[in-house]
Amino acid sequence: MPVFKVPFNGYSVKFSPFYENQLAVATAQNFGILGNGRLHVLQLGPAVTERAAFDTADGVYDLCWSESHDSLIVAAVADGSLKIYDLSLPPASNPIRSLHEHARECHGVDFNTVRKDSFLSASWDDTVKLWTVDRPASVRTFKEHAYCVYSAAWNPRHADVFASASGDCTTRIWDVREPGSTMILPAHEFEILSCDWNKYDDCIIATASVDKSIKVWDVRSYRVPVAVLNGHGYAVRKVKFSPHRGSLMASCSYDMTVCLWDYMVEDALIGRYDHHTEFAVGVDMSVFVDGLLASTGWDELVYVWQHGTDPRAP
Amino acid sequence: MAAPADPTPSSADQNPQTPAVEQTTVDDRRGSKVEVVKESYPSSVFVNSEPIREEQVQNAVKFLSHPKVRGSPVIHRRSFLERKGLTKEEIDEAFRRLPDPTPSVQTTEPVVTNQDGKIKSSADVQTQAPTQVVQSNPVLPGGNTLKLETDSRFHWSYAILAVGFLAVSGAGTVVLFKNAIIPRLKSWICKVASEDEEGLLKKNNGKPSIAEEAATAAKVAAAAASDVAEASRQMLMIKSEEKKCFEELMGLLNAQVHELRSMMTAIKMLEGGRSRNGKLVVEQHDDERFLGTSSKQPYANGKTVLGSHSVRSSSRPAPADPSVAPHPKSYMEIMTMIQRGERPSNIKEINDTPPNPNQPLSNPRLAPRPKPWEVSQPQTNSTNILQTQESSKSSNYKFPSNPLSGGDAALWWQRKNVRITELEAGNEKKPGSSNVLGNEQSAKRSWVPPQPPPVVMPEAAAVIRQPKKPSYQKEQTTDNQLLAPSPDVTDELPRITRIPEAGGSTEANGKTSVLSSSDEIQAEENSRY
Repeated sequence: MPVFKVPFNGYSVKFSPFYENQLAVATAQNFGILGNGRLHVLQLGPAVTERAAFDTADGVYDLCWSESHDSLIVAAVADGSLKIYDLSLPPASNPIRSLHEHARECHGVDFNTVRKDSFLSASWDDTVKLWTVDRPASVRTFKEHAYCVYSAAWNPRHADVFASASGDCTTRIWDVREPGSTMILPAHEFEILSCDWNKYDDCIIATASVDKSIKVWDVRSYRVPVAVLNGHGYAVRKVKFSPHRGSLMASCSYDMTVCLWDYMVEDALIGRYDHHTEFAVGVDMSVFVDGLLASTGWDELVYVWQHGTDPRAP
Repeated sequence: MAAPADPTPSSADQNPQTPAVEQTTVDDRRGSKVEVVKESYPSSVFVNSEPIREEQVQNAVKFLSHPKVRGSPVIHRRSFLERKGLTKEEIDEAFRRLPDPTPSVQTTEPVVTNQDGKIKSSADVQTQAPTQVVQSNPVLPGGNTLKLETDSRFHWSYAILAVGFLAVSGAGTVVLFKNAIIPRLKSWICKVASEDEEGLLKKNNGKPSIAEEAATAAKVAAAAASDVAEASRQMLMIKSEEKKCFEELMGLLNAQVHELRSMMTAIKMLEGGRSRNGKLVVEQHDDERFLGTSSKQPYANGKTVLGSHSVRSSSRPAPADPSVAPHPKSYMEIMTMIQRGERPSNIKEINDTPPNPNQPLSNPRLAPRPKPWEVSQPQTNSTNILQTQESSKSSNYKFPSNPLSGGDAALWWQRKNVRITELEAGNEKKPGSSNVLGNEQSAKRSWVPPQPPPVVMPEAAAVIRQPKKPSYQKEQTTDNQLLAPSPDVTDELPRITRIPEAGGSTEANGKTSVLSSSDEIQAEENSRY
């Protein structure tokens, strides 16, 4: 299975929604504390090759592919800006946009898969902003969280609904047509680092927290979680529902492992991979190949492997 | 003074109440607005549908009334209540019920740019105006000011009290000086004078006392000196110990260095003299007992029988080149470096600004592919609404979703769930669309869906469409009240839920799925009449 070494510490990895052998990696120098950043676009094959790389002044914390343009990538940069890159243009013309409105680091970015023209940015300035690619300014700002917002995720079926995960220990559900949040889930007692919707049941949302657990919630009865998934040894950094199977999700954690869960099953942990030698910070599942996983971490490595196989096998 | 002063306090009295009244009415209005919204989406699952829990609200009121909580920022109070599981409505209700509505309460509402915000800001202005009026007439401090419960009043009386206190304390110290200190000074001066007179007499008597004092002082000094000496002695001891440890460490390091050097030479010899049977300075066995070695490396006793050691040496894997690439610094090292103010040396100056901020986007080469969850289950956006209308499926998602705006015309053909937009100003991801930012911000529906697709087959459209001229004009406008003309349709929901039926019926007719929105609705309405 291919492994790719990047020069900086990995922060996020995302498969392309257009090409099944393409993925992008967001990296930041010096563990993202202070330094430059780089966005890599990789091509899978017998070996992993780098198709493009873009340098940034500050670390890149997250990225998302456009759902409408096969060559556009949005990068969330630690200086609070969002950079848009067009792969079909020569590197000298990139980035094509720099959207700078956040007062603090941009930590998460997510593209709308239903309407395919807008994206959200989650920032440590406690706000979430809504953008479209053709506008230089944000369309909406959602300011209600009392602390850093770490991630925002669009609902896979409802074009106007999204969720945000914040360090104020709540997850909020928003509707872009409403002025404020429509639901507040006090999901954990500690900071919530990531959230994601179930692709096959749009009322199910999973939240991952510093308290080492992942909780699965049904927004229709949100007082009690549907499932609590314990098994990670440290904070869970990212959670991602499978695009192919309804109850399957992947998570990565500061315990350097990537775990696979099925929350409908009694023993939910169905796979654990400890291939990383530093914090595992980014994980993604391919929409084209069922069971294809990608992960990256602070050990400056990007792994792509099939569930059930050893990521480090050559 | 009294006459003009009287009306102002009374008017000021009323005014603080009116903002409160206004505030409640605003909140009621807002609450009713929220309810209206909820009624129009009765079963939207992404909204709290629980009624307000009285117990939680009362607990919240108690929490908010606590004096310590009063001093904390409002955002922290709200965050605490949210973490305890209270819904927005319950938190708002608790703030409303607080016994003393302060201006800070108004800041708890989320930042919105709609009518509610404007009304509240006008209420704020009203509270401030009467206070300024009364401040300009400084009536007697204390009594009159205490009647009115605005913050500026308290500042006045507090300031006056503080000034008075300072004056009193100043006067007191002066008095103290006069009464106590000056007599002491006088007496001291007298003493000195008298001592001079008696000095000669008391000299002899004074000497022994002086001598005693000197003796005690000398003893104390001696004790202090001895302490100092001890301390310095201990320090010396510690230093010597440290020196010893250092020397040991140095010795060990030297030994290691020598070991490495010897290994290097051995390797060089091995690589160089592989064909030769000669001098192999084999020191490998030394690193096994390096801990005990002294600084002088036993090169002499390193030479051993060639055979055995060559086997051993050749069987050992070649160690890495000592001049290896710098090991990446650990996270903690970088953190401490930055906390000390140092900048890591590997950071470069990079200019990542866009070379052309108006660079036009390239055309997409591929149409968006459907997601696995969209393909395996029928598109629920449209089918849910369709089925709710037919009441065949118990779906909860009655609130409408905006259409899947495809990038190209091909998409519209692919997508079977052509959903018509909520006919507000169109927003499109295609470049060159009109900017309707202001429109969005003011409307409650702040999301601006794409423009309706163009008519592809006019003949088909004409067949379906009832010939009604105004509909063409409506199609062109990008107004919120696009569908207002129909008197029956005041609520948006029926309008919107009718739309997919139009889409479904047109498909059933086998016509194109690409139709303009208003035409379809007109068709529906006409068919119903």
